Amino acid sequence: MRARLASALLLAGLVAAWEAWCRSGAVSPLVLPAPSAVAETLWGEIASGRLWPHLRVTATEMALGLLAGTVLGLGAGILLAEWPALHRVLRPYVLASQLVPKLALGPLLILWFGFGLTPTVVVTALICFFPLFETTLTGVTQVDPGQRELFRMLGAGRLQTLLRLKLPSALPVILAGFRVAIVLALVGAVVGEFVGGRQGLGASIVAAQSVMDSSLIVALFVVITALGMAVYEAARGLEALILRRYARG
Amino acid sequence: MPIEPFLTLEGVRYRFPGDPADTVAGVDWSLPRGAIHCLLGRSGCGKTTLLKLAAGLLAPDDGAIRIDGVPLRGPSPRVGFVFQAPTLLDWLSALDNVLLPVSLKRRPKASDRDEASDLLAAMGLGALAGRRPAALSGGQRSRVAMARALIGRPDLLLLDEPFAALDALTREELQDDLLRLCASRGTAALFVTHDIAEAVYLGDRVGVMAAGRLVHEGAVPLPRPRPPGIRYEPAFGAACRALRAIMDEASDAPSPPIGRAA
Repeated sequence: MRARLASALLLAGLVAAWEAWCRSGAVSPLVLPAPSAVAETLWGEIASGRLWPHLRVTATEMALGLLAGTVLGLGAGILLAEWPALHRVLRPYVLASQLVPKLALGPLLILWFGFGLTPTVVVTALICFFPLFETTLTGVTQVDPGQRELFRMLGAGRLQTLLRLKLPSALPVILAGFRVAIVLALVGAVVGEFVGGRQGLGASIVAAQSVMDSSLIVALFVVITALGMAVYEAARGLEALILRRYARG
Repeated sequence: MPIEPFLTLEGVRYRFPGDPADTVAGVDWSLPRGAIHCLLGRSGCGKTTLLKLAAGLLAPDDGAIRIDGVPLRGPSPRVGFVFQAPTLLDWLSALDNVLLPVSLKRRPKASDRDEASDLLAAMGLGALAGRRPAALSGGQRSRVAMARALIGRPDLLLLDEPFAALDALTREELQDDLLRLCASRGTAALFVTHDIAEAVYLGDRVGVMAAGRLVHEGAVPLPRPRPPGIRYEPAFGAACRALRAIMDEASDAPSPPIGRAA
């Protein structure tokens, strides 16, 4: 509680200093708008209802990209963990797919899928794939050898060992990867909109930049940050709920 | 009339890939039903490998292993195994850990749950059946692991130094639990240990292993049942000294294996 209060006080102090600096005239409002101007713009966007469709689009892209990236990352992680030969063959390709800057794929994805939701969802899914893939691969392959031997001794099949031992053991690591993926999903959705979006918070930032509306840009930063924190905290809550069943430590 | 052996090892050899020498170098041994055999040896002598061969977790390079006359082709449901570490699943309660061998085969019935509860109660853990392993002490976890190995009513229990990490008093309690449960269920046991006193206290017979070979096999000259106080009697000390002498002799100059020539 005390830490939260300290955090809130720090934020209030920083905002006050920012406001004072802007009011002193040391910096042009075009370069850095005052927090009061940002708040006014934000309230205007909320009250007029202009913000909600954009928020809905970004949240949808984020959710769909996260879902696709999670399913693919989890599936590929399990597949490559269970078949080491496949791992050796496919690993360089998986790595290469992640080393290509996702933003650079944007124009190509627009050519393939057109403007709109799909290219952004694809970019988001590609970004979310890797943390889920890596954590699943690591978690599933690093199961305690003694427990594996126990399952062999008990005559457990491959699927049983995966479902009853490997995945439950790997769950804390996989959930940590999911938390990373959630943060990256928001980055993916916003950055994807920079390239090919017509709607959404990222597309709105590009539109605000074209009219040099720095207040709106910062107001959208605030919305994006709030969205990210809300989703991250929800994921943490879900993780705590799931891990309570496992009572580790 | 001789007792029909339950577990038979004939000329069993095993070498880990890349190793210059056999880890198990031609072992012949027969274990009758119901008896408790201890396999004694220094660290690295091959006793855990021999146990895993007897469990079907490893396949011998040479020789044969039979359970009740049937060649062993892999882990058998008639054999229970207790590992060095308890290897409990953190996300299951003590009761569900005990039921694991059953739940991997079918949905546990009420009778299975009753048996698991009875086993935990026999181990003094009746009140802790709902606890997760993280909320149990080291001794309690070892007891749960032992109950898990016994739930299928195996004919043979293989134990790989399961009490090595426990304090002396808890270890003695667990030794008594093991003796009691094996006696009441007629379960044979092959207990691997490097502790001479543990082997003498538990074993009807003790085998001594050195450099991959079984260099001695003989009966423990102490009556059954053995009260805990027997550890302080001269006969117990004499039995320990005799085994120590065999181990010393084996480590100075490896003795020829007993039984079949290597």
